[in-house]
Amino acid sequence: MLAFVAFSLRRAWQGFWRNSVMSLAATATMVLMLMLLSGLLILWTGLHSTLDYVQSEVQVVAYLNDSATSSDVTHLTSDLKAMPQVTSVAYVSKAEALRRFQQRQPGVANLVDSLPTNPLPASFEISLRDPADYIDVATYLRGQGAVESVQDIQKTVSQMIAVINIVSTVGIVVMLVVALTVLFIIVNTIRLAVVARSEEIEIMRLVGASDAFIRWPFIFEGAFVGLLGALITIGLLVLIQAPLANLLSGFFNVLPVQASAMVGQNVALIVLATGIGIGVVGSYVSVRSYLSR
Amino acid sequence: MSSVTPDPESGLYRRPEIARSHPTDSTADGLPVLSLRGVTKTYSNGKSALRDVTLSVPEGDFVFLVGPSGAGKSTLIRLLIREELATKGKVMLEGRDLAKLNRRDVPQIRRRIGIVFQDFKLLPNKSVRDNVAFALEVTGTPRSRIAPAVDRVLRVVGLAAQADQRPAELSGGEQQRTAIARALVHDPRLFIADEPTGNLDPLISWEIIQLLLRINEMGVTVLMATHNAEVVTALRKRVVGLEDGRVVRDETGAAYHRED
Repeated sequence: MLAFVAFSLRRAWQGFWRNSVMSLAATATMVLMLMLLSGLLILWTGLHSTLDYVQSEVQVVAYLNDSATSSDVTHLTSDLKAMPQVTSVAYVSKAEALRRFQQRQPGVANLVDSLPTNPLPASFEISLRDPADYIDVATYLRGQGAVESVQDIQKTVSQMIAVINIVSTVGIVVMLVVALTVLFIIVNTIRLAVVARSEEIEIMRLVGASDAFIRWPFIFEGAFVGLLGALITIGLLVLIQAPLANLLSGFFNVLPVQASAMVGQNVALIVLATGIGIGVVGSYVSVRSYLSR
Repeated sequence: MSSVTPDPESGLYRRPEIARSHPTDSTADGLPVLSLRGVTKTYSNGKSALRDVTLSVPEGDFVFLVGPSGAGKSTLIRLLIREELATKGKVMLEGRDLAKLNRRDVPQIRRRIGIVFQDFKLLPNKSVRDNVAFALEVTGTPRSRIAPAVDRVLRVVGLAAQADQRPAELSGGEQQRTAIARALVHDPRLFIADEPTGNLDPLISWEIIQLLLRINEMGVTVLMATHNAEVVTALRKRVVGLEDGRVVRDETGAAYHRED
């Protein structure tokens, strides 16, 4: 058994370098595919955690008219607090809204100072027990004279879900096309390796080598292309990790940072499994058609 | 070494190596090494390469297979190594019906047969030693058993001194002897030589024939397909003549051409 594995690995290694140009080209396409796969995985994970965040933070934001009086505010606050669906109510005054804005956008703070009046509305931030209760609270608020508008988070959520669905569908289709291409390239690479060794295979059959001894070196060779491709991909991902993380936290404002280590580990595992899997399947297909003569 | 240890993969009982030196020692069940009964081989293009061939070769025999090109000699050999299956009839090797053989057991049967060809089929980038060792390596022989077995067969064929040379550095006769060593390294019961001297000059041909006779003396059954009339006539062995896919003669102590 040990002799068999050592023999197969040695032959796979020799086979890989015997036709090094073809093998490296196959590895390069493998890397391209795995990079695409990782990109999709990261994008998908980012979108999903953003969605989770948005959904967990479901709160109703109601903007008030500038004409709303402080008695309106007191009245609304007590009414909202009395509702069973509501867990907390926070009032954000015009001044507070301005302060928050200046804090978030320090670059344009001066601009705001030059305005004659504060353009930002006062608002209520109402947290809900259950996102499904959104409709009840929003309906109540829309019926109040002091309320200018109610921010529709549900719409944002369903838009995000639509985006995620499109990204998933397009991503899966593109991935399948690319994976089939890579599979095709592996099948051809291994077929060339088989043809290059047809003399040896003929001798192996004549001296009574079992099919396993003929087949496994090529399967290991395909697995080796996959493994090398996966390792290069993971290496590249590690290299671009820091700029990528910046880009992501810029793109998905709310992506929780602590999740990225786990995401990285998952992506690495998926990349390894996919690379080796495609390599093995490709060479198996290639050798099978040759041996079944 | 126990004499009744079944090969772990095939379940076949391999005879200990000592038995090779006793030509009279026949197989345990007394069956012929190979037998064909009413064998016909028709290819998909409708051409019949063999027609109703019946042939039995007992253990220790030396048989010349003669006949014009296209008579069916190569087809017969391909049936024996189960490269192809007979269309009709039975091909038996050591009592086993090759048609009923599990695909997985084919390699085991091939290890019981040593075969050499006119074109040697050596690997050009391997030394003599590595070419012979290859046959053991690819059949899963532990490394520690390979070197002694290779040295032994290289001594039998007289190539111990050339062990580290590559095929291109050898004469034709030496290349064929390398191929013979490789065919012997599994201790076969049947040795098939398909035109082994076809590419060699007469003197070298005789060396190869001497070697095959020695292998036969060691108890191995030899089947040699040849066009070499001089050798066949001089040795007066059993001669099986094929013509147009049929056995047209089967004589013991015969010459290359019919003498009656």
